[in-house]
Amino acid sequence: MIWDLWKKGFYAWEDATAKYVEGWTKSPLLLGPSGMMLGGAMKAKAAYDKAASSWVGNLGLATKRDQERALHVLNQIESRLIDLEERLAEMQKKDDTRT
Amino acid sequence: MKRLKNLASLLTRPKPPVGTTPADVVHRENKWRLLRYRPAPGQARKFQTPVLLVPSLINRHYVMDLLPGKSMAQDLVAAGHDVYCIDWGTPGDEDRFVDFDDVCDKYLGRAIRHVARSSPRNKTHVLGYCLGGTLATIHAAARPEHVASLLLLAAPVSFTDEGALAAWTRSPQFNVGSIVQGFGNVPWQLMQSAFHMLRPTLTMAKAVGVIDRAANDEFLDGFLALETWGNDNVAFPGECYRQYIEQLYRGDALMQGTFSLSGTPARLENITCPVTCVVFEHDNIVPWQSAAALIDRVRSKEKILLKLPGGHVGAVVSKAAQKNLWPKMSAFWAQHDAAPEAKVTPPPAPSAPRPKRPTRPARAGKAPRPKAKAAATG
Repeated sequence: MIWDLWKKGFYAWEDATAKYVEGWTKSPLLLGPSGMMLGGAMKAKAAYDKAASSWVGNLGLATKRDQERALHVLNQIESRLIDLEERLAEMQKKDDTRT
Repeated sequence: MKRLKNLASLLTRPKPPVGTTPADVVHRENKWRLLRYRPAPGQARKFQTPVLLVPSLINRHYVMDLLPGKSMAQDLVAAGHDVYCIDWGTPGDEDRFVDFDDVCDKYLGRAIRHVARSSPRNKTHVLGYCLGGTLATIHAAARPEHVASLLLLAAPVSFTDEGALAAWTRSPQFNVGSIVQGFGNVPWQLMQSAFHMLRPTLTMAKAVGVIDRAANDEFLDGFLALETWGNDNVAFPGECYRQYIEQLYRGDALMQGTFSLSGTPARLENITCPVTCVVFEHDNIVPWQSAAALIDRVRSKEKILLKLPGGHVGAVVSKAAQKNLWPKMSAFWAQHDAAPEAKVTPPPAPSAPRPKRPTRPARAGKAPRPKAKAAATG
């Protein structure tokens, strides 16, 4: 009985609080500064990564970005090969149907 | 007493057996895999058109196959459907360059063609959940050839809603370019914290719910499985995320008709296959209006809007969903199993006998369209 009553009160509080917080999280007063903070932190991280990779690059080594690009290109080549296989299979199927 | 005992055992309880319906990997490319669920011994595939499940890109696929006895995939297989599911996998650092066209055209297109090939109609039913539904919609709008029908669960297509996610991404200070530049792939932790911010009190509400229903073992198993899934997220490929936010959230390109997939316009009006759009009344991740907007735009003669009570996840995997929603989905696919042309009386045989040829699926477009069913909105 007490638990049920408490639960009812809790859910009423939870609903009201959630609605209040939702109003705040959509407010430009909060979104503006937090967006700028996130953007600034990301720009700083990107600048640091760039500096670190240019140092590695100056030693004549492949940077992380170079490796990522190479792996991505390999994945794209794999996809193109599968495309070709698919087309060949289609052509083969059409040919079989004709004969 | 049992409640206390169950609560005390929460920490030591074994990990729930999620995603255990037996499946074969029928295709693998980059990090994604295409799974085909195996029917249990004694079960048979009754329908000729397979079903492809497309989960969200940022969650694990096993939400569609949560627990034995509480799995959408298992139930659909038991109902006689040939069920496939995409497992998007975990993107590696190199996948920061994977863009929207790669995912929605190359990967999803391949999955759809692969599944369609197993059907005499050369088509497949497509079910998309959340972002998976958006991907399926875009694909069906640009390349409708192999899509027999579209069933969308909480799939956003209009992004001009008043929801918090839309407000955050539309904020001019939210610099998506610097996030992608800084992180590469957008980390799941960043996205999960954003989802937590949608309703910060939800964790407390969940805790009270667990205390309240701790005596129910079935509830606890389901709760733990859902929490396991909810905390097992994956990063969003960077370039894909940039396009998603800039074109879909900020530009509302789908509703504006300006979105294109690998250069092909993806206009919602191009969708003519039967469509069922399921939206959830208390969904705070995808407001129901954002998903329901599709119905007014597609040119399908059969389009159904189902508005159900519940939230974004619970309403798809709950016991109520198992009882009401999943059978409705199965019935929708069963209704559209055979090609309309297959029901048409064959033309009279030619006078001269023809040489025998292997059977070919009937050509679409020559057969009369099926009688339109009234669109039901609820």
